Amino acid sequence: MQKRTILSLVVFLLFMIGLLPVLAMLIKSLSVDGHFSVEAYAGVLTSQRQWALMGNSLSLSVWVMFLTTVIGVPLGLLFGKTDFPLRRFFIFLFVIPLLIPPYITAVSWFDLLGREGFAAQFLGSSFAALSSRFLFGLPGCVAILFSVFLPIPILLTMVFLRTINPRLEEAGRLVSGWRGVLWEITIPLILPGIILSAILTFLLSFGEFSVPNFLRYSVFPVESFTQFSAFYNFKAATAAAVPLVLMALVILLSEAVFMRGEITQLRSSTETKNIPLIPLGAARNGLFGLVALLGFFIVIVPILVLLIQSANGQVYSEALRRAGDSLLRSLLYAVIGATFLTVLGFFTGYLIQTKTFRFWRAIDFTTIFLFALPGTVIGIGLIGLWNTVQTNFIYGTLWIIILGYLARYTALTSRITVTQLAQIPPAMEEAARVAGAGWFRRIIFIVIPMARRGLLAGWIVGYIFSLRDTAITMLVYPAGHDTLPVRIFTLMANGSAELIAALCVILILATLLPAGILWMMANPLLRKINR
Amino acid sequence: MNMLRMNSVTKIYSGKKVLENLSLKIVKGERIVILGPSGCGKTTVLRLAAGFIEANGGSVFINEKLVSKNNRILIPPEQRNLGMVFQDLALWPHLSVYGNIAFGLKAKGVGKQEREERIQKTLILVGMDAFAKRKPAELSGGQQQRVALARALVMEPGLLLMDEPLSSLDLELNIRLRKEILRLQEKLGFTLLYVTHAREEAFGIASRIIILNKGQVAFDGTVEEAEKYLKR
Ligand SMILES: Nc1ncnc2c1ncn2[C@@H]1O[C@H](COP(=O)(O)OP(=O)(O)OP(=O)(O)O)[C@@H](O)[C@H]1O
Ligand SMILES: [Mg+2]
Repeated sequence: MQKRTILSLVVFLLFMIGLLPVLAMLIKSLSVDGHFSVEAYAGVLTSQRQWALMGNSLSLSVWVMFLTTVIGVPLGLLFGKTDFPLRRFFIFLFVIPLLIPPYITAVSWFDLLGREGFAAQFLGSSFAALSSRFLFGLPGCVAILFSVFLPIPILLTMVFLRTINPRLEEAGRLVSGWRGVLWEITIPLILPGIILSAILTFLLSFGEFSVPNFLRYSVFPVESFTQFSAFYNFKAATAAAVPLVLMALVILLSEAVFMRGEITQLRSSTETKNIPLIPLGAARNGLFGLVALLGFFIVIVPILVLLIQSANGQVYSEALRRAGDSLLRSLLYAVIGATFLTVLGFFTGYLIQTKTFRFWRAIDFTTIFLFALPGTVIGIGLIGLWNTVQTNFIYGTLWIIILGYLARYTALTSRITVTQLAQIPPAMEEAARVAGAGWFRRIIFIVIPMARRGLLAGWIVGYIFSLRDTAITMLVYPAGHDTLPVRIFTLMANGSAELIAALCVILILATLLPAGILWMMANPLLRKINR
Repeated sequence: MNMLRMNSVTKIYSGKKVLENLSLKIVKGERIVILGPSGCGKTTVLRLAAGFIEANGGSVFINEKLVSKNNRILIPPEQRNLGMVFQDLALWPHLSVYGNIAFGLKAKGVGKQEREERIQKTLILVGMDAFAKRKPAELSGGQQQRVALARALVMEPGLLLMDEPLSSLDLELNIRLRKEILRLQEKLGFTLLYVTHAREEAFGIASRIIILNKGQVAFDGTVEEAEKYLKR
């Protein structure tokens, strides 16, 4: 009974935090003075401009989806399936752009390729004119979002590779070389992962607003954000957001229908030793060179540019003076967000993994749907729901920001929990149950200790994504509660390039350092306890 | 002629010697069963023969051709003309029965017409011709075994490796499929290297038995001798 009560409460919370704002927004957008009306949509569907926006959004996300899949899946295979050198290092390297707010990468490319960037200094202004044209528009947005979302297919490919029973590939190796095995066996088996990754990169680029906004490429989310923040036109903002909701819903639903069950089966193959690796042989050095080159250009160069741009102690002290309070708030909110995300994600993942409710699929789907929704949509939804006098204790405080984090990022911690719990034999909890332990006891003394590595990973991911959030926070933050990504974004209008670069470096450090240190300290410790 | 020969092969896993100077010979047309307790290295022997792993020392010959020496694989698995039936069968879940059997022939570049004929013949041989379109998940345990067998046999391997293929079946089915394997072996004449930890099964299949213990050959002889050896 305990169990169902608590888990029902979790479902209720998920509904209140995540789904209700979106629903409320839909409903509000359909009413004028309390009557049903599609007036707000009339503008959306009829104006030429809206269709142009839609076209821009689609080209951007299709390009990013295409490029990340075509390059990310082979990279995932290379890192997960072959004797490629320094695999761990490269995985870490390629993941970095995903961990920081995407517009930081854009800022860096601007410092490099913009009209007054390094390129202009070294290669002349005619080159810079060209490179700046490239940057401000579709190609620039595609290139930057490509580098940001590339880790998604890499990581999903690697995760799905681990779910394959290694014997299936060996059975193929008996009669065919690796090429045939990869095409006919390995890749079809990880296809659900590839499709999921393509869908996520598509939806995430469709919903991304900070990069197109910075590079002045007009897309839907920018429109909805501008309508809201510049004109304070809530109806128009909502109406511009609804196509995004529908798009995410339709795509994810069809994925759920066509791939029914295949994705939720995601669990590591029981056999973890004797995984066959492809020897790259003579191709090893060439591939290494190519991958190193790619990593250099899309990860190391942007960071180097920021470091060089800000190489001046005074800039850093000015940065801290002007944004030190935001930095501290960012850290605090990220810690709070991560903690709540871990708890909520744990129980959500638990109820999905144990199929406590018949509608566990719907819950899993809801969290993924909320993750794939543009942050601006969630932000607008939260404002519409909580911006009342009675609820000002939430709307006027940091909790509205935390609610935003929870609404959007629970999928991450919940999925991590599911993967972790899948590796714990159900007999463990059952044995404790037979021994007479109540549900709380079993959770606290059996399940949580066994899942602690997943919990730690979840906390770190929650920390990173809370810290990195720009879109939701930018919309919902109460006066005096802005976080560092938001402060940088607003300072960009008039701050010097050096100052912005320094702030970006500080933000990168604030993301990577604590997460890295925590992982390195806690992981060996946990492993020791595990023995 | 020796179909498989291992010369003082050693295999070390994380500092532990799983096989130590193991030597064995399998003559063409024999049915060898390797018998031994769990963890004694039976699967490791098969994986070395197949070329999935390299040894730490010693050499392996197939058909008197050197296929691996010390820690080097000289001939990759797909060029060894082997068939293998895995303990968990490892049927490809995304392919139909037909697709499972066709994969190897396609990879070897066998033409469409010949391919279809050989698949049909093999399906009839194992009594699965009515199930060609089904996915593995839509078959019973015994039927899956037959498909796994057909997948290996369609390639007409000189040496068939079987790793406890029947251990997950009930006794009745186990005995029936054992007979089936014997019938096919007699008819097609392949050399069989069969691994199990069940004595009863070993005695039913083998023309010669090798008992493995702690990574070394503890016994090598006929079925009668093996029974005596084990009674001691
Ligand atoms: N990749 C590996 N890494 C480390 N140890 C391994 C690996 N593969 C096998 N071993 C160990 O080598 C030993 C022999 O394994 P093997 O699978 O050959 O035994 P087996 O005789 O087939 O056992 P079973 O009857 O249980 O299948 C075991 O102790 C096993 O744990
Ligand atoms: Mg074995």
